[in-house]
Amino acid sequence: MTSPQIRHRVDPRAERAARTILTGQRPRLLRQPVATATVNERRRDPRAIRDAALVQRQPRPRYDWARDAASAGTTAAVGVAVANAPVIPLQVIAEPAYLVLAMLDRPGGEVSEHDRQVIAAARLLADAGGGAVVTVATGSGEALAEAGSDRHVALPDGWADDYVPERRAAAAAALMASLSPRHILFPDSPDGGDLARRVAAAAGERLFAGVQSLGPDRATRQSAGGSLETGHRPTRLMTVAADAFAPLDGVRHEARPLDLATPVVAGEEVLPRLGCARRLAVDPDALSLSETDFILSAGNGVTDWQSFAELGEALGATRAGSRVVCDAGHLPRERQVGASGTVVSARCYLAFGIAGAPQHLQGITGVKHVIAINTDLHAEMIKRADLSIVADAQEIMPALIRLIRERRHD
Amino acid sequence: MTDAAMGNVAVLLSIGRHPVSGRSRRAATDAQALEMALALRPRRLTAIHAGPAADAEALRAYLGMGLERLTLLVLPEGADPVEALITHLRHLAPSLVLTGRQAEDGESSGMLPYLIARGLDAAIVPDVVRIGPADTPDATYGKADLVQALPRGQRRALTVTGRLIATVHPSAPPARASAFGPARRGVIEPVAAQAAADLFLSDCEHRPWRPKPKLMRVKRGGSALDRLKAATESKSGKGQLLINPTAEAGALAIYDNLVEQGILP
Repeated sequence: MTSPQIRHRVDPRAERAARTILTGQRPRLLRQPVATATVNERRRDPRAIRDAALVQRQPRPRYDWARDAASAGTTAAVGVAVANAPVIPLQVIAEPAYLVLAMLDRPGGEVSEHDRQVIAAARLLADAGGGAVVTVATGSGEALAEAGSDRHVALPDGWADDYVPERRAAAAAALMASLSPRHILFPDSPDGGDLARRVAAAAGERLFAGVQSLGPDRATRQSAGGSLETGHRPTRLMTVAADAFAPLDGVRHEARPLDLATPVVAGEEVLPRLGCARRLAVDPDALSLSETDFILSAGNGVTDWQSFAELGEALGATRAGSRVVCDAGHLPRERQVGASGTVVSARCYLAFGIAGAPQHLQGITGVKHVIAINTDLHAEMIKRADLSIVADAQEIMPALIRLIRERRHD
Repeated sequence: MTDAAMGNVAVLLSIGRHPVSGRSRRAATDAQALEMALALRPRRLTAIHAGPAADAEALRAYLGMGLERLTLLVLPEGADPVEALITHLRHLAPSLVLTGRQAEDGESSGMLPYLIARGLDAAIVPDVVRIGPADTPDATYGKADLVQALPRGQRRALTVTGRLIATVHPSAPPARASAFGPARRGVIEPVAAQAAADLFLSDCEHRPWRPKPKLMRVKRGGSALDRLKAATESKSGKGQLLINPTAEAGALAIYDNLVEQGILP
């Protein structure tokens, strides 16, 4: 049986005559237009694919073969292609069946990993029956949208820095009374766990502390010094253990401000028994490397140990070193960073004269921000660092000490 | 040192459990709480344990730290000790109650100090590493200065008014060793107490804890190439690179970067 499609007869001579331009010294042929309607879909057009993959024409052509065909139409632009981020659909829970409260720590104003895990645990409870997750923290909720928060209650900004746990507990109790959530989750961190226990004691409810796994009808925790697993139905008040739940990835929720009948100032009238809270200065060299926040590290490129010590004092950083330095006896063994020393998780790591052996880089995988100073441009440490300076450590260290003292006296 | 503020101290002691062998022992932070109380040299120091009378032998390790007597509130197995402790402490009226952060056996929810603070209408401060009467010039009766341990080795000073319940952090001064002779000579005084059974705990189901696999951060979405990169490559900074700057320019770049990160003021 023949197909109903009528096959057009091609007249190559006529087509060629139509494309010929006779002006000029000799006849020229126009480039053949690609007639998209007549092209067979199953037929591969290598020229079109090549054009679609072209991301840069000048100074030399560059092709990106990994791009998907959908974005191929916009490739004509010369220059660096903009990576097309896949749009995550916004999930809206307009009429929640119930609420799950997540009381976050938000230390220093940023959403911590533990806070994200608490929201992920709250989502498990909320998604089981069409509920909504309400986050409660200082600051705005925008940063929490991608962590999975549907509604946000902002605590007063002034509460972020001072330590008045009674006030937070009173605010949490007021929210508990006004919103009547089905569950309230806290991080099992020092501050979050303290708050949870205050709220539980005030409400006279049972706290299920340090939840390790969670489902709509069963929660488990460790008890008896970690030797038993205790299971129960999810109670109203729970704290979530660290690193028990994976934070959500690739979701977007509303995190819109929840309109409350009364603003959250319930804690203001509480007369706090705790007062005069202030941070004490801690000797950075007395801290162990695994718990310090800021490390000044030396490698084989450091010879001026006097400046190194002065710099550590000026910066208020904990001093550490690579294996070579500790082997040579310039620093004690417990100050060694790396696979055979301490695996550190500091917020900032300032490395002088460290080339970056694999064992050393292994020790700093948990570090957020790395600054490296090394004479070798091709050192691994220079590649790893967020700020790399190719220079001699012996010149930079005194200059940095001078700069810090100058700024301090201003 | 004014004795009035710290005249009457009570220490709540629990029975610990060795993490490997599971044998009864003195609980680590409770022993540190007792050490802190002994170091305060109060006029009256009461050590209290609430639980079944059968566990009394493990309490002798506390007596070996220099206690002469220890009160044992005798409760039936599986009873909730909170009410009995509150009743007993109301009778004693201590100005300071010290205890560990979390029990090493039983429910170990860490709720007991909070419930007792609620029952005694006292302030509660967790994770204390140092305690002493307020040394400010206007120090009045019942004010105490505390130092609290925070994550990452940081410390916070606090002043507390009125009756205080403090839980002790593991980084507090270590407990002294327990001596055998005083442990044998010390007296455990049993006191009969009323307690109701803990219905919540009997409602829970218990099974041996099995270690769970470590949670790994798996990146979802993106192309296969992206996921492979995320799984295999370590984080490499896409940062600034300065090649052979002058010493001053390099130092300034580091300084500005540290200020930006909030490390330096």
